[in-house]
Amino acid sequence: MHKRRKTLALAAAGTSALMALTACTGGGSGEEAEKEVTWVINSLPAAWGAISSAGGSVYVIQMLSGVIPHTGQYQPDATYEYNMDVLAEEPQLVNDDPDEGPFEFSFTLAEDAVWSDGTPMTGDDLRVTMMMSASPDEGYCTTCDSRGTTGADMVEEVTVDGKTATFTLKEDLANPEWKGMFDAHSVAGGFYPAHLAEEQGFDVEDPDQLGEYYTWLHDTRPEWSGGPYQIVDGDLENQVVKEPNSEWFGETQPALDRIIMPFNTDEGTFVPAFQNGEIDGANPAQYSEDVITQIREMESATLTVSEGNIWEHIDVNVENEWLSDVELRRAIFTAINRDEIASRNFEAGYPDYELKNNHIFGSDSEYYEDHLSETSQGDGDVEAATGILEDAGYELDGDTLMLDGEQVGPFRLRSTDTVIRNNSVQLIQAQLAEIGVETTLEMTDDLGNMLGEQDYDIVQFGWSGSPYFASNAEQFWHSESGSNFGGFSNEEVDGYAEAAGTASSLDEAAEHSNAAVEAIVPQAYVLPIVAEPNYFFASDRLSNVEDNLQSSYRATYNIGEWDIAE
Amino acid sequence: MLVYTVRRILGAIPILVLASVLTFVLIDVSGDPLTELRMQQPPPDPSVIQLQEERLYLDRSMPERYWLWITGIGGHGDIGLLQGEFGPSTQSNSYDIGAAIAERLGTTLRLVAAAMVFALGLAVLAGVISAMRQYSKLDYTLTFIGFLALAMPVFWFAGIMQQAGVAFNDLVGDQVFATIGDGLYQAQGEDLWGRITNAFAYMTLPTIVLMLTSFASWSRYQRTSMLEVLNSDYVRLARAKGLPNRVVIRRHALRTALIPLTTVVAVGIAGIIDGAILTERVFQWRGLGEFFITAVEANDSYALMAWLLLSGVLVILANLIADLLYGVLDPRIRYE
Repeated sequence: MHKRRKTLALAAAGTSALMALTACTGGGSGEEAEKEVTWVINSLPAAWGAISSAGGSVYVIQMLSGVIPHTGQYQPDATYEYNMDVLAEEPQLVNDDPDEGPFEFSFTLAEDAVWSDGTPMTGDDLRVTMMMSASPDEGYCTTCDSRGTTGADMVEEVTVDGKTATFTLKEDLANPEWKGMFDAHSVAGGFYPAHLAEEQGFDVEDPDQLGEYYTWLHDTRPEWSGGPYQIVDGDLENQVVKEPNSEWFGETQPALDRIIMPFNTDEGTFVPAFQNGEIDGANPAQYSEDVITQIREMESATLTVSEGNIWEHIDVNVENEWLSDVELRRAIFTAINRDEIASRNFEAGYPDYELKNNHIFGSDSEYYEDHLSETSQGDGDVEAATGILEDAGYELDGDTLMLDGEQVGPFRLRSTDTVIRNNSVQLIQAQLAEIGVETTLEMTDDLGNMLGEQDYDIVQFGWSGSPYFASNAEQFWHSESGSNFGGFSNEEVDGYAEAAGTASSLDEAAEHSNAAVEAIVPQAYVLPIVAEPNYFFASDRLSNVEDNLQSSYRATYNIGEWDIAE
Repeated sequence: MLVYTVRRILGAIPILVLASVLTFVLIDVSGDPLTELRMQQPPPDPSVIQLQEERLYLDRSMPERYWLWITGIGGHGDIGLLQGEFGPSTQSNSYDIGAAIAERLGTTLRLVAAAMVFALGLAVLAGVISAMRQYSKLDYTLTFIGFLALAMPVFWFAGIMQQAGVAFNDLVGDQVFATIGDGLYQAQGEDLWGRITNAFAYMTLPTIVLMLTSFASWSRYQRTSMLEVLNSDYVRLARAKGLPNRVVIRRHALRTALIPLTTVVAVGIAGIIDGAILTERVFQWRGLGEFFITAVEANDSYALMAWLLLSGVLVILANLIADLLYGVLDPRIRYE
């Protein structure tokens, strides 16, 4: 598709028509056209491995799609499917009863599952991936800097028996998300080959050498694959090229001859490149109303815009002398008009936006419960907010809110300097002014330090969600969590959050998580606004390509099924 | 001239050191390189953060880090300009800043060289024609084009050029111009002819964009300089001697009028490299401009320092070359 008739370039330059005609013959009408797709990854991947803090981005994950094998993933409709190409059977929960012994589960890989060099996949691959995912304190690996150590750090022992790996957790620990340890959403995005360590001269039992193997995996373009495609060319600066893995053992064989994944960091180039046939599609991480509007007008494009994983919220610093008063916080949340904020930012590109009414679950989750609509928080109800304040003894002096003769605030309303958040905090400032609360806007480029140092009174920022949620409540609100930036502390919420993180099943974890949400709402500590939409576009000539917002792989989640429609 | 050159180079060292101290401090206070890691969900284990802090030397004080960055003494062997190491990167544990710069320098130079050659050629042509036809319709037209080019923001013009490229391709029913990439991958395995046509397809649009501002300002310089020379006594004398106009212009006027432009061009190299930041971004060339933007986005302080240092060196070198060229081109100037 993208073969350039170079003659025309020269013709454009004013060179001879003869030259043009000569090279025009390069098209080769008798040859069967190769099935080739060019799919954009919209940032530079930092590494060839996804476990590390630097490599653990959606871009690395997407670049490695179809290469790293995994045990299952959430589908676009939020249902979970095990990868029965890779697994011999569904993962087994061996024990979840504390009275019977430690929490234990096992994975058994399919008999015919092999790496691209023909080496069988074994339980050792799972074990070594787990070891590289653990924190250095666990003693497996000296220099592994895994971006997510929680699941691996719980493991006390791994027993490998051929294709089966059995994981036993430390005493009194349970992992409700155990089935996801090697799935598409895991820290590794799947699992890595163990046998290559020996081939490269690393002893995985030696923590220093496992660290070296980990570095090797992150630094070396994988010539190995455990999926339908393997990388045959590319670097971390420009693009990767994938071709079918001849050893792929799955039921569906790859239909494309080649997939090119260029790294394109400027979304402004998507539209001309798409119009020009240089790319076939993309699933950008950032929302862009401009690109959406332009793609929508193209007949040859499929475009979907849906609720993404990053959700915006407003937090208050409860250690501020005024904001420690829950009634003031409730009034502030009641005066904020979430719909106005969402509408201003997203209506043009995504008129179907939904306000977020649960801090942990999206509305498509089976565990979703609406805990916010029944309150007036986020409704922009000035009358109700004023009523709350009057009942609590606050009064208005002109346009200024006073308590005991003293002005309440002013408060520092902060956020990062993006268009969406700028719009948002300006609206919030105006909305709070209606109840006499004065705010000063201060934008920052250093969100981490601002939050970590509690350098705000009210702040808007985003969290990214995931189908796995058990630790969210603990992370957001537990009094000892490093991510509970606003200093909130509540024993009831702590209890629910801890229970969710240590539940033995997702159902149980969801129950506790929803209880935590229900308990936090009246405390008016975090007001969820809306999930930022994500968009996806693809050429009509492609088939079986769709977005999957449940997964970091996005549209590449089923790359092995991609085909050309013609 | 040699003594003068050595003196200038030695004089540049304290300027570079001072500039490096200032930029190091500014970058250091501008943000935490580990912000993204700290904000990760779920939060990384403290031992992982500690590992990164040690790797990036964030566990040391700012003066100590600067000393390390210069000397490498007390480091892990990955830092120290005097040892040829630019320091560790936040982008990944194994990202080699020096190698990345070396790799990208070639890409940027390719674009910059093409832009300079075309900008210079067109600027001289436009400047000379404008001067020779002063106050004519052609002069006004070229002047208008020059000011228009000066006023156009690079990112906007780049977008326009991309759309124009797409429109042209649609018109001829083929992909003549590419809108993204530098074409190096696409040129792999091609014969010489294929490489030439490939380069044309990928280089035309970004070169036009990058040369635009330089062309505009240089053509104005050239026009002014040419007018000055054309009105000088020795040109009048040459004409009075009965030399044909063509000879007067080419042999006598143009050569003299090129002297100020030559030095302006030397100094302008730094400006073109700066312009390449946006051009490379819009056309997705992996050059030094894109390196800079990626470093900013990744809070990669050592990569930023490397880029700024390189820019500083280039500016100083360009100024030195400009000064030396004065001496070479103008016999009246001598360096002692």
